[in-house]
Amino acid sequence: MNEHRDDDVLICRCEEVTLGEIREAIQNGARTVTGVKRRTRAGMGLCQGRTCERLVQQILRAELGNAPEEIGTSTVRPPVRPVSFGSLVGDEGGKL
Amino acid sequence: MSAFDAIVVGGGVIGTQAAYHLFKEGLEVALVERYDIADGTSSHCDAVVLIGDKMPGIDTEQGYASIQRFKEIVQEVPYDFEFKVRGLLYVCETEPEMEAAAGYVADQVRDGYDMQMLDTKDILAREPYLAKDLIGGFWSSADATLNPYKLCYALVNHMRAQGAKIYDRTNVTGVLLDEKRRVKGVETDRGTLLAKNVINCGGAWAPELARMAGCDLPIQPRKGLCLISEKAFPICSQKVQEFGYMMSKFEGINFTRNVSERVARTNVAMVIEPTDADNFILGGNREFKGFDISAEIESIQAIAERGIRFFPILREMNLIRAYAGVRPYMPDHLPVVSEVDNVPGYYIAAGHEGDGISLSAITGKMIAQLVTGKPTDFNIDKLKYSRLQKGGKSIEQ
Ligand SMILES: Cc1cc2nc3c(=O)[nH]c(=O)nc-3n(C[C@H](O)[C@H](O)[C@H](O)COP(=O)(O)OP(=O)(O)OC[C@H]3O[C@@H](n4cnc5c(N)ncnc54)[C@H](O)[C@@H]3O)c2cc1C
Ligand code: FES
Repeated sequence: MNEHRDDDVLICRCEEVTLGEIREAIQNGARTVTGVKRRTRAGMGLCQGRTCERLVQQILRAELGNAPEEIGTSTVRPPVRPVSFGSLVGDEGGKL
Repeated sequence: MSAFDAIVVGGGVIGTQAAYHLFKEGLEVALVERYDIADGTSSHCDAVVLIGDKMPGIDTEQGYASIQRFKEIVQEVPYDFEFKVRGLLYVCETEPEMEAAAGYVADQVRDGYDMQMLDTKDILAREPYLAKDLIGGFWSSADATLNPYKLCYALVNHMRAQGAKIYDRTNVTGVLLDEKRRVKGVETDRGTLLAKNVINCGGAWAPELARMAGCDLPIQPRKGLCLISEKAFPICSQKVQEFGYMMSKFEGINFTRNVSERVARTNVAMVIEPTDADNFILGGNREFKGFDISAEIESIQAIAERGIRFFPILREMNLIRAYAGVRPYMPDHLPVVSEVDNVPGYYIAAGHEGDGISLSAITGKMIAQLVTGKPTDFNIDKLKYSRLQKGGKSIEQ
């Protein structure tokens, strides 16, 4: 149907997730940003959702009409930016 | 009010498998989960389905049977959950570890499992990016991996499509019993559901649910942390873990590792596995910290340190995410898969600690066998709830 002609639009660039896949996840029970993330990988990429999270929130709102509090943001997980394993180790494991 | 043959409480790997196997037996099943499917420990964990981290005997027997059952489920369910038999490589740092490993492998081989000891050359041939100073290890061929939350979604999507009732975002607040303490159903924040059989698959939260039926359950949350790397070229092609992992899991194994204070304090042992999305999951540790699942920097650092010790190439690679979960820990390292004797119709399938993903298929199958009165695939007396009770009285933690 016309309504879904934009299903191919890419929403999460890091993980190459389309609008259609996000709509399908919502049909399968996703109600939150985290629910969409686990079902599609949107938000699991290198930028950890910095680019796509707002779009995912908007799609959830458009599809379900729920309030922002219910949709949530994805849990902020450390590190906030990618960091090398080596730099984490510091003194006890070698050079910083 | 809706009536069912069985109500499964908990939408993690154990609950979805129990519901699936009951549904397959032709029962009217309701699956009740207070949040989203797989919101508990089953989305805060690694992804391996192992025999090579289990004690010889029923522990390994269940693990092996589960892997065989997973191979069938892949054919039965039309959704992918990334199941693959990849094998498991253990690596050893010291002679005492090699000796302990050789004893373990001999026991498992005697029971018929395919495991073999390896020397430095062999382990480097399998994993060229391993540190060059390791003295050997062993290989177990039957071990597999899968994506745990995709497994939950696959089973739920399949059941829903076939007409099973899935009540997500529904919190169970009570268990209904008749005057003979027989199960009648459950109370939820969205109304009453009736059934003669209720299965508690609450994972680390199972004790709360058990209390609603007047039962004590000594499960405790045992925290573990995982680090996810960026997508990268394959630095390992299967699950690799240090033999010291056995020591962090079971208290009974005695040898001392040559590790930093930080690693000892946080009880870290290196485990690494590739994922389908070309990231790596690096772990892991075991600590008792209640239900707190924050990712502490000291534990992150210790896991990174131990990872680099075994895979020096990790030093240059990026960490993009760290998360923690709580394993449902039982003091005797065996889950409860059992009806509760003095509450007919009340079943418990919980307490799988670090093996819930592995054991979910066989646990689900055996719960369906118990509920429908069929003989179980093998003798599971050791998993009975009654083992926790002495002279009819339950043991307090
Ligand atoms: C870091 C880490 C790594 C791990 N790695 C592995 C591994 O590689 N292989 C392996 O086999 N295992 C592994 N495990 C262990 C495995 O994750 C667990 O054993 C398994 O997920 C437990 O599944 P479960 O279904 O029992 O519990 P959960 O997945 O926690 O499910 C219980 C569900 O019950 C729900 N619930 C609770 N109370 C109620 C209520 N009142 N009403 C309704 N619903 C309720 C919860 O919301 C939850 O969704 C790991 C664990 C951790 C923490
Ligand atoms: S765009 Fe989705 S994780 Fe980067």
